[in-house]
Amino acid sequence: MNGQPTALEAIVAFVDERVGLKQIQAKMLNEPVPGGSRWAYIFGSCLLFIFIMQAVTGVLLMFYYVPSADHAYASTQYILHEVDYGWFLLSYHFWGSSAMVMMVFAHMSQVFLWGAYKKPREMIWLVGLALFGIVMAFGFTGYLLPWDQRAYWATTVGVEIMDKTPVVGDFMARFLKGGPTPGQMTLSRFFVIHVMVLPAALMGLAGLHLFLFRKAGPAGPFRGTHAELKAKTDYFFPRQIWKDIVAMSAVFITVCSLAFIEPVVLLEEATPDPGEYHPEPEWYFLFLFQLLRLKIFSGEFGQFLGAIALPGAFMALLAALPFIDRSPERNIFKRPVALVGWLIVMISIVIFTVSAIINREFLD
Amino acid sequence: MQPQLKSKVRCTDREVGEVTRVIMDPLSLQISHIVVGGNGAGGPERQVPASTIQRVTDGLVELRAPSSELESFPAFKRDEYVTIHEVEIAHLEEHVHVESGEVLVPVPELERNVKRRAFFANFTHSIGILIGLPLAYPVLRYLMKPMYAPLDNGWIKIGNANKIKTDDVGVQFKYKKKVKEAFMPEAEVDKNVWILKASPDTLEKVYKGKDMDFQDQTGRVIWTNKRDVPYVVFSGKCPHLGCGYKWRSHKVLGQVFLCPCHLSIYDATGKVLDGPAPRPLDALPIRVGPSGEIQIIDMEFKAGTRSQTRIV
Repeated sequence: MNGQPTALEAIVAFVDERVGLKQIQAKMLNEPVPGGSRWAYIFGSCLLFIFIMQAVTGVLLMFYYVPSADHAYASTQYILHEVDYGWFLLSYHFWGSSAMVMMVFAHMSQVFLWGAYKKPREMIWLVGLALFGIVMAFGFTGYLLPWDQRAYWATTVGVEIMDKTPVVGDFMARFLKGGPTPGQMTLSRFFVIHVMVLPAALMGLAGLHLFLFRKAGPAGPFRGTHAELKAKTDYFFPRQIWKDIVAMSAVFITVCSLAFIEPVVLLEEATPDPGEYHPEPEWYFLFLFQLLRLKIFSGEFGQFLGAIALPGAFMALLAALPFIDRSPERNIFKRPVALVGWLIVMISIVIFTVSAIINREFLD
Repeated sequence: MQPQLKSKVRCTDREVGEVTRVIMDPLSLQISHIVVGGNGAGGPERQVPASTIQRVTDGLVELRAPSSELESFPAFKRDEYVTIHEVEIAHLEEHVHVESGEVLVPVPELERNVKRRAFFANFTHSIGILIGLPLAYPVLRYLMKPMYAPLDNGWIKIGNANKIKTDDVGVQFKYKKKVKEAFMPEAEVDKNVWILKASPDTLEKVYKGKDMDFQDQTGRVIWTNKRDVPYVVFSGKCPHLGCGYKWRSHKVLGQVFLCPCHLSIYDATGKVLDGPAPRPLDALPIRVGPSGEIQIIDMEFKAGTRSQTRIV
């Protein structure tokens, strides 16, 4: 050390003096994690990682994709069969969306089981629910874009379901379809929602989510005395970031593997005649699809009950949760209603999804 | 009151220096230690727990220990701490009051005598609303342009009735429909309907003794299916949620129309036998020429409702 800063150090110092990078970096990384870093806290970071990868692959897909009824299918096939590594990027984007949904369920479950939605974190939970809605909307709108039979019919049925919303249903359905039946206008609308509206909304709300999270601070474990928590506390960097990066790598490897093993294959081009195709939504909507087959959800009212009222009431219950459940107790083993409720919801989703898959065999 | 920085520190017997630093507990957000230094002896600064503080007054911190005990407190090690600006602990800064008194900056001269601040604030909001409000209607109209397309009542040739050999069996007729959507070139889409050569019995069940009227959007009758024409055509769209159904044999119910989506089942007359569908299959206007040529008006009705609402 001769005391003279190197050129690089001088540049860093120059920028830091004007931007305050070191302080920002310190603030980002030096966040105490009460009770210490844990594998249970990886889900939020993983979601951010998956979103970034979806954004990158999505932008790349748009270099070739054309959102028009007479070119969407052909351009998607071109990406799959002609463009170098197009099949990989499209398949990554496809499986990435499933990873996103899985991770959202894991993240929400963790927050729910840890009681981390309770005071003073109600706002984080509410913004998180809005983000959940955005992720599902991403899946729904993206599904149409390849313009094959699978895409067309999932959208046809999905929009018919929205149509059942009282008062505004007809307007909403026509607004989304851009007319009475799915066509070019629908594709244009889904495209702009998928690539502009939802990403902007997600980035804004995810920013707010993180800001509120930093404002309230991490909730930490649901048991342990003050002294125990303090003894185990570490900073976000390096231990938590290490766990996060390991999890992100696992997600990356899994999604890549799925893209290799099960690359996207399109069906016939979209048309209002389903031919031999049996319409079915993406797997994470299967439970809802199967639910609507039940006898109790038959008829006009039954359908409203199953397609609108039940999911609507469930979301409303989730939104009201931090205001209903005001006890400060966070230990899941001392919250039997919450634990049993979570189990029932998860088991029902699994049962309905599996029975939808079993039902496939009886259709041919 | 929190111990102030630069306050003198006095033990039970004598003054030992001043508060050089304050250490906060990151969980309780309270002061856990003060650092005592500057006693002139050149010794290390000492880290004194807050529990040792007897009393805090303006500019003075009194400890409940004699000065001889000061040496027994651990020496302060700067490396083991970061400043509160280098770490993000929620609400920590709200609990820090270690400066003696408020730290102020002057309000600019021009701002000191401004009245009507509320007026200016409201004025700003009003301008914002005046910019946004007139845009709302044009934007809504802009987005709504294609939503309510007029109904098309043209007849479409879809095939010949001599293709149907057996009575009361669903036969699918596929046809191309020309669509011209907004700026797009005219295109043909594949569609299908199911046609039944109905036995008198079935015909009676479909028409229930009455001719069937079809209306345009104004409610004017544009066509009437006569109850004695033995051909019945059903829209290919399932009245449950709009999928395409098939003519299939069912283990219990025999030959039926079955929708693979949500498993609605209809008999040959279109009546719901099982599943979630809220109404029978939708019969369409049909015209059969002398040579057996079939023409229909392509109509679609909203799915999922008990009554028919025509949308195409």
